[in-house]
Amino acid sequence: MPNTHIIQTQGLTKRFGTRVAVDDVSLAVPHGCAFGFLGHNGAGKTTTIRMLLGLTTPDAGTMRLRGLPVPDQRARALSRVGAIVEEPHFHSHLTGRENLRVAAAVRGPETFARIDGALGRVGLGDRADEKVARYSQGMRQRLGVARCLIADPELLILDEPTNGLDPAGILDFRQMIRALVGEGRTVFLSSHLLDEVEKACDAAAIIDAGRIVKAGPIAELTHASVEQLLIACDDEARALVLLADDAGVARVESIDGVLRVTLARSGGAAELNRRLVVAGVGVTRLEPVRETLEERFLEITSRLEAVA
Amino acid sequence: MSEVNEAGTRTAARTYLQMIRAELLKLTRKRSIVGTAAFLSIGTIVLYYAVLEIQHLTSPGSYGPAGGLDHFDNTLGFLGIYFGALAAILIGTEAGTTDTASGAFRDLVVTGRSRLALFAVRVPAALLVTLALGLAALGVSIAATFAFAGGLATPGVSFVLDGVLWVCAAQLVVCAVAVGVGGLTGSRAASLTILIAWQVLAGRVLARATVLGDARDAVPNLALGALKPGQPLTDNYGLTMSAGIAVAVLAAWVVVWLALGARKTLVRDA
Repeated sequence: MPNTHIIQTQGLTKRFGTRVAVDDVSLAVPHGCAFGFLGHNGAGKTTTIRMLLGLTTPDAGTMRLRGLPVPDQRARALSRVGAIVEEPHFHSHLTGRENLRVAAAVRGPETFARIDGALGRVGLGDRADEKVARYSQGMRQRLGVARCLIADPELLILDEPTNGLDPAGILDFRQMIRALVGEGRTVFLSSHLLDEVEKACDAAAIIDAGRIVKAGPIAELTHASVEQLLIACDDEARALVLLADDAGVARVESIDGVLRVTLARSGGAAELNRRLVVAGVGVTRLEPVRETLEERFLEITSRLEAVA
Repeated sequence: MSEVNEAGTRTAARTYLQMIRAELLKLTRKRSIVGTAAFLSIGTIVLYYAVLEIQHLTSPGSYGPAGGLDHFDNTLGFLGIYFGALAAILIGTEAGTTDTASGAFRDLVVTGRSRLALFAVRVPAALLVTLALGLAALGVSIAATFAFAGGLATPGVSFVLDGVLWVCAAQLVVCAVAVGVGGLTGSRAASLTILIAWQVLAGRVLARATVLGDARDAVPNLALGALKPGQPLTDNYGLTMSAGIAVAVLAAWVVVWLALGARKTLVRDA
């Protein structure tokens, strides 16, 4: 049976002294998607990535990359993985192209032919022969991606790739991620920027205090645990009274002329609208509230903090 | 061997050659390091003969010709133990620390290439650069030895060859040790401080410590001095040892420091 997950971990654990940095993490990242790995700074994202890439050894658990067990088959597994951990580093006295030649020499003879294409792809074709010391942070990030691309990667692991980028750079980066996914590659994007993950990724896992607290498609993660509606009408006071007395409404509050209604059960929006209209209240707006990933993330992590 | 294995071996060999070329690129593009090393090896020899020749031309009665056997012998010491060794330390340290100092070591490790291979290719690259500078300096020395000999005796072919081999061997030993120390510390500043302090000071203090007796044979400069053709080095303080022991001491220094550097590269937290 073909392996459907490009990254699989089971019970991955890493301790630094008495502190557990990564605690029993089990991840399954499907092929051909952008997968967000979301968490606060210090939640365990980078440590997990470092274990996957063999930069540090786990204390417990198993890992598979591209279906291959690591660290046992690390060289084969990483041969088509491109990774940027924290920030890409280069030999600043060499040019961008020379840095890629150094990386290509380490990767293997077949990778040299991809250098020009990779530089062009990230928009550095005409700056490739300048010393990296003269590159801006955004250019270094792009050169880091080019260094990943020379491996013709099935999987790109990008740790906080938009750090230090300006808004235009972030937008470019997001478009590049989607383009890479469009080519059938998988992008594993670690970030503490919720908006970034929500806009760029198809699925995500949320890690908090070293543990995976939620994982799934973005649409599923942003699906509210309670259904809420925003209602605007021509008689707010009357609507407030009607809704407060309605058995299908758990809570109603008026915020800046708009009623925020929490339903007692899902699927009651149409019924509520009908009752208001029948009672003579003209409804001008009825909009389901969609939680952002940020709200969902804060909801989950603050719930965990309350339990702790 | 099957064709598949042969192809795999050829690819691996090509990869390692390309990795060595990449190390050479990193080293030779560091113009400040290579320039300083070139000055220490080639520049000092040029200066030495220039000063001698100017002295000879301005006051031939007081100063003999700049060339000849004795001056050639002196330059062997310069290149094998003193300035040439400092050049070898600079190059070896740079090769041993450049990936960790730049932070690029992590980015090379995540390619899946073994850390041992990443360390191993630094050694031939550093040796090649050191050797190139050493041979260039020797070329200057040999040319000046004969060009400015005047009526002085000149070295024979076998002495010249012995001298060239000794200088090359001395610089390669120092360079290899420097790569190992660089790999061990990961810090260019720390490695340079340790190695220069050893080369300039500690090694000589130990060589003079008669209380150490035969244990002084383990000082690499004394072992190198024991193998030097021509006049013995003044820094050897009359100590002698067999060629076998000298070679064993030098081999041990190279092997131990390279092993320590490789070991640290394997376990270094990238």
